[in-house]
Amino acid sequence: MLPYLGCIILFLIGIYAILTKRNLIKIAIGFCLLEYSVNLFFAFIGYKKDALAPIYANLSQARNFVDPIPQALVLTAIVIGLGTTALLLSVALRIYEKYKTFDIKEIKRLKE
Amino acid sequence: MIELYILLIISIGAGIVAVEIKDLLASAISLGIVGFSVAIMFILTQAPDLAIVQIVVEVLTVVIFVGVILKTTHIDTTLEDKLNVRDYLTKGIFALFGIFFLLFSILALKELPQFGMPIMKIASHYLVKGFEEIRAANQVAAVILDFRGYDTLGEATVLFTSVIGVLTILRKIGKIK
Amino acid sequence: MNYLPLFTALPLLGAFLIPLLSKIWERLSDIISNVITTLLLILSVYSLFLLPIFGKVYVYEIGKWAIKPIPLGIVFTFDNLSLLMVLVINLLSFACSLYSITYLDNYTARWKFWTLFLLMVAGLNGVAITGDLFNLFVFIEISAISSYALVAFGVEKEDLEASFKYQIIGEIAGLTILLAIALIYAKTSTLNMADIANTFAKESKGPLFWFIISLLTFGFLIKSALFPFHFWLPDAHSQAPAPISAMLSGIFIKVVGVYALSRLIFNIFGLNRLNASHYFNLLLILGIFSIVIAGFIALKQENYKRLLAYSTISQVGYIFVGLGLANFWSITGALSLIFAHALGKGLLFLTAGPVEKEAGSLDIHLLSNFKKRMSFYGIVYTLGALSLAGIPPFLGFFPKIFLILGAIKGKRFEVAIILGIFSLLTLAYLLKITNKVFTKKEGEEVKGVSSIVISFLFLVFLIFILGLFYLNYLEPNLISKATEAVISGVEYARLVLIK
Repeated sequence: MLPYLGCIILFLIGIYAILTKRNLIKIAIGFCLLEYSVNLFFAFIGYKKDALAPIYANLSQARNFVDPIPQALVLTAIVIGLGTTALLLSVALRIYEKYKTFDIKEIKRLKE
Repeated sequence: MIELYILLIISIGAGIVAVEIKDLLASAISLGIVGFSVAIMFILTQAPDLAIVQIVVEVLTVVIFVGVILKTTHIDTTLEDKLNVRDYLTKGIFALFGIFFLLFSILALKELPQFGMPIMKIASHYLVKGFEEIRAANQVAAVILDFRGYDTLGEATVLFTSVIGVLTILRKIGKIK
Repeated sequence: MNYLPLFTALPLLGAFLIPLLSKIWERLSDIISNVITTLLLILSVYSLFLLPIFGKVYVYEIGKWAIKPIPLGIVFTFDNLSLLMVLVINLLSFACSLYSITYLDNYTARWKFWTLFLLMVAGLNGVAITGDLFNLFVFIEISAISSYALVAFGVEKEDLEASFKYQIIGEIAGLTILLAIALIYAKTSTLNMADIANTFAKESKGPLFWFIISLLTFGFLIKSALFPFHFWLPDAHSQAPAPISAMLSGIFIKVVGVYALSRLIFNIFGLNRLNASHYFNLLLILGIFSIVIAGFIALKQENYKRLLAYSTISQVGYIFVGLGLANFWSITGALSLIFAHALGKGLLFLTAGPVEKEAGSLDIHLLSNFKKRMSFYGIVYTLGALSLAGIPPFLGFFPKIFLILGAIKGKRFEVAIILGIFSLLTLAYLLKITNKVFTKKEGEEVKGVSSIVISFLFLVFLIFILGLFYLNYLEPNLISKATEAVISGVEYARLVLIK
């Protein structure tokens, strides 16, 4: 259970960064941490003790493999994460061009 | 599996550094440390495909971060201000939430199958069929390209969406006045 | 009904074609996307007549990986609830794409708009028809990412800021949902929704079950902007271009938020008022808070679109009151409110476009000093507002009645009274705009513009005609069947796996 808990802690660090930091880049970094923690959690779920990576080296090999499904899902999730990170940072870049700061306190233009 | 625990501690430590350090470049590098530790953990949990993709994506992420930081500023000026009551309040609320979340998750995680013993209800069928019907050596490839190929179409679409999105956002002029 | 994949494949085809072909002639992108949204509308109306022939659920196996005995591949499950959502999505996206032909003259790079718009439609359709949990996440992300970019389409200061806020909140929700999916997979070792439902039916409801439910609820309540997770919505929905505001407020939050949540809690986890009354009471209370708080904030707003955005939060509150009461009448009310609100709020947000173009501002105070007459937009706006506030004979009248009936049926008379009173508040804040912006004007009449007018007439026609035929046609043939699909709970799993 301890590896799972490690992922949850990483997840909480990400949430912490997003909720309490005022710098846009730090918020984006928090988002990346969130994403890594969930990916890692998936990989841990599929891990099987003393098993091999799910690749047949020869035809007569015994089928003692780790679970391939979470790996396939993480593959998708990693790419989705890259896409969102790129979009997030391009918005941050444009905001910096307009406001000359990453501080959300100085960016707040929209009224309550 | 002692390596796994060491790497987890390293990545949690590097995560905290990435969030708290003042220099944004150092912060991006610390994020890289987390990402590469994740990649090594993927190797330890017998997921070489993921490790390869994670390394590529991590390099790209850090490059994008560094690119943006170099174009703008690398000092986090928000850390210079003194904390006011509101900041302490948010931190306090977050601490309460975090403790609650952690306790709840400990209770919940106890009910999961133990680490290292997945149920593999569907997966055991995949391992047989992937070899006998799809004739794939790599079972992860069999899953992403055949059994769950539709997700991979979605994945490619997400990438396409974000490319078009980035192009949209980097336009200099949006509205015609 | 083996054309089911077309609901996502057609808009994806359009989205991939537009960047290639628009280099030849940029207006080609208008034609491609309007043809595709029209085809989608025809397909979804056709499904309305075809689904009863196939029974309650039609299952489509992608790649011919049979769902029996072990669900190996990804499946689409198309039941009456999906049908309702697909119809709403494609009705409104048809109107919005028609509207955008003229509206996009105010913006640069129209092909990028169309590409992202079609991707969003593909994602929303996918969410509504998929029967696989991870596939649901992928489609949520497709629609979410395209909506983040569309909110910032104007690339003004405020647009970018709203988009950033929206992205961060949306991604917290997305990753929380993904964490819940990981936990579900660890416990059940399957990703097919029906199979998950069967596995959980055999388990006792321990901390893990409730942890998963709380993660999912948290994620989807953010996506549907229920109080207290509503704070991102007014910025994002008021800064987006008008057709995107209409799509986001009209269908996005309902498909990605309300539909996905109710599919999971009712059909997959089998919760109902008998086994989880606290959970539903929580939804009910949050719904009432949304109605009250967002209603009063809306009354004070001085910006056309922000007022409408707060009104959306308040109306989402009504939908959750319906889900929280969880009896037949209240869920009928909630589902028909999804329908009525999509058309009505879509129409109201669309009127903001030409008004902003004429007057150059959306500040209600400035607009009240604007001299030109906009009687056509005024009439359209007022009709939409009357429908939303629940005035007969328009479509919006029936959901409110069903909700109140549901509250009485559930012996919650105080809820019934609150619902009744706050319908009047809805009328008050919506007619504030009619009063200040559209009446007491002199001077010349503003001329309407072609495709915008057609889309308005289409939506007004729908609100009126569906209101007339609500009890005779819409309710028995669509809404009550969809309600049955929600109420019957884990019966969904049996119907899907029986095939």
